[in-house]
Amino acid sequence: MKGTIAPGPGPTQNTGLRLAQLSRRIGGRMVLAGIDLAVKPGECVALLGPSGCGKSTILRLIAGLDSPDGGSILLAGRDITALAPGRREVAMVFQSYALYPHLSVERNLSLGMELRGVSRQRRQQEADRVLDMLQLGNFRDRKPSELSGGQRQRVALARALLRRPQVFLLDEPMSNLDAQLREELRPQLREILCAGEAPVVYVTHDQQEAMGVADRIGVLQGGILQQCGTPQELYNSPANVVVASFIGRPQINLLELGDGSLVGIRPEHLHPVKEGGLPVRVLNREWHGANQQLTVSSRHGQLRWTTGAAQPINDQLRLGWQAEHEHRFDQATGQRRNA
Amino acid sequence: MSSQPCHRSGSRLRISLVILLLLWSLAPMLWQLYSSLRTPESLLAGLAGLGGGWTLINYTAVLQANPPFWRYLLNSSVVGALSTLLTLALAIPCAYSLSRRGGLLKVVVGGGLLAAAVFPYVLLFLALLQVARQLGLANNLLALCLPYAGLSLPLAVLLLQAAFADMPVELEENAILERFTLWQRLRWILLPLMAPSVVSTGLLVFLFSWNEFPIALTWLSRSELQTLAPAMARIAGSSVFTVPFGPFAAATVLGSLPLLALLLIFQRQIVAGLTQGAIKG
Repeated sequence: MKGTIAPGPGPTQNTGLRLAQLSRRIGGRMVLAGIDLAVKPGECVALLGPSGCGKSTILRLIAGLDSPDGGSILLAGRDITALAPGRREVAMVFQSYALYPHLSVERNLSLGMELRGVSRQRRQQEADRVLDMLQLGNFRDRKPSELSGGQRQRVALARALLRRPQVFLLDEPMSNLDAQLREELRPQLREILCAGEAPVVYVTHDQQEAMGVADRIGVLQGGILQQCGTPQELYNSPANVVVASFIGRPQINLLELGDGSLVGIRPEHLHPVKEGGLPVRVLNREWHGANQQLTVSSRHGQLRWTTGAAQPINDQLRLGWQAEHEHRFDQATGQRRNA
Repeated sequence: MSSQPCHRSGSRLRISLVILLLLWSLAPMLWQLYSSLRTPESLLAGLAGLGGGWTLINYTAVLQANPPFWRYLLNSSVVGALSTLLTLALAIPCAYSLSRRGGLLKVVVGGGLLAAAVFPYVLLFLALLQVARQLGLANNLLALCLPYAGLSLPLAVLLLQAAFADMPVELEENAILERFTLWQRLRWILLPLMAPSVVSTGLLVFLFSWNEFPIALTWLSRSELQTLAPAMARIAGSSVFTVPFGPFAAATVLGSLPLLALLLIFQRQIVAGLTQGAIKG
């Protein structure tokens, strides 16, 4: 039953998505520099980074809405780098959802099929399939303006699912929703995305979301893919200072030791010690119920420290950490030193 | 918008202002309507003649003239409709491609269009007459569409370009990914959403062609081909010794009926088109 809507020239066996040395320059500025990324069938990779890091550009290049200045894109075993967007069999969920505002939910889903000459019965069948999957059956006659933000997002998702594409591209699909709804929708989104065989590329600037939805996360900054790995890999052994600072909240502490290296200690890995360690003074204390977050000053500057809510705080505080929790980076290059 | 009740004196002031505005804009038209329904004698008699003197004679006069007045209405409608269609057919693709381009070309073309749009076209009509003679377009009703479309094109392209630029680009990009052709994207996505702008632009073109005088006067000399504006001028100057107020007023009323009908049909789109850009979302 798969791939019958838009039978493409490619093989039906999806071999995933592969970006090789992809680069893009806009107005003399290097937006993307040599991106290598492979996404397996059925795998969801989140591209995580601050705004302007080039993550949306990658999606646009994969979709064919923008052309790379170098490198190639392989999808399901064929080189699509120079292929017209409509021939690539990609489906994209835009940040704004890009629902056609003048059409009902059902028309939003079926117009594309209609124009491609799919029979009425088949259109109905396909629309029913995704409407059911996303529990949108009751909204089929509504206009997008008559839907809530979460419902619109589901319609956009339904429209993407309907096409049974070779790859799903999602550009900040949650950023227009409020925080609570986002958390509710995350498991649902993950379930839907992982159900299929198509690889998924998910762009976000929210690390919680990336960790909640993706199998692997690629951290992008300055147009360079800093590291790509499972959330655990990124957290436990960040490849450089950028990744270490980007993954984990509150941010990792970076201590200058004066020997040309930086030591990174996560706030949650600091603990009070009787002897030795760093003598610190508490500057600020936030109590969060399950834990408390403190800002302390030490001879290495200010440190962030997360500890249990019951931890007594006194003046004669010394903080230490276990060697296994220590991340060492080269101070000049920011790259990880220890294996 | 808050829904709190208006202060009473404020709302009274507002109503008076609205009435004043209506009087200001409607009074000339009502005056014409009044004049068209009066006998010539009662029009000249001043207040004394207010009692009697109601008549349809002015209407029968213009409708039974040779050629009858509806002939001019028909001519103007045909020329107006064709000019509008021609202008839109040319302006929509122009505006689309211009809105999808950036850089120097857009600036140069945009500036050129603006210059052409504000150029007083009356300065061109002698040259256009020459063109009409050379190409044998004189006394051809449909040929009138050519200068009309040509003169309306710059403004139409500018207006539609702004409307295209207002369309969220993701809508079209999603359609591209769904394998819509360019024509399908225009037909099913962009133009339906731009309907207000397209309608307002079309109406502007239609109005221009409906009211245009010098070109229509000089290109068409056979009376059964004439459009409304020159025909009305002919009625006004038909008598050497008197001004035929009554028939002229009747012609004005008849001549504005089709416009009124168009405005009523497209009322919603026109208002939306005029306020577009002001409110989004």
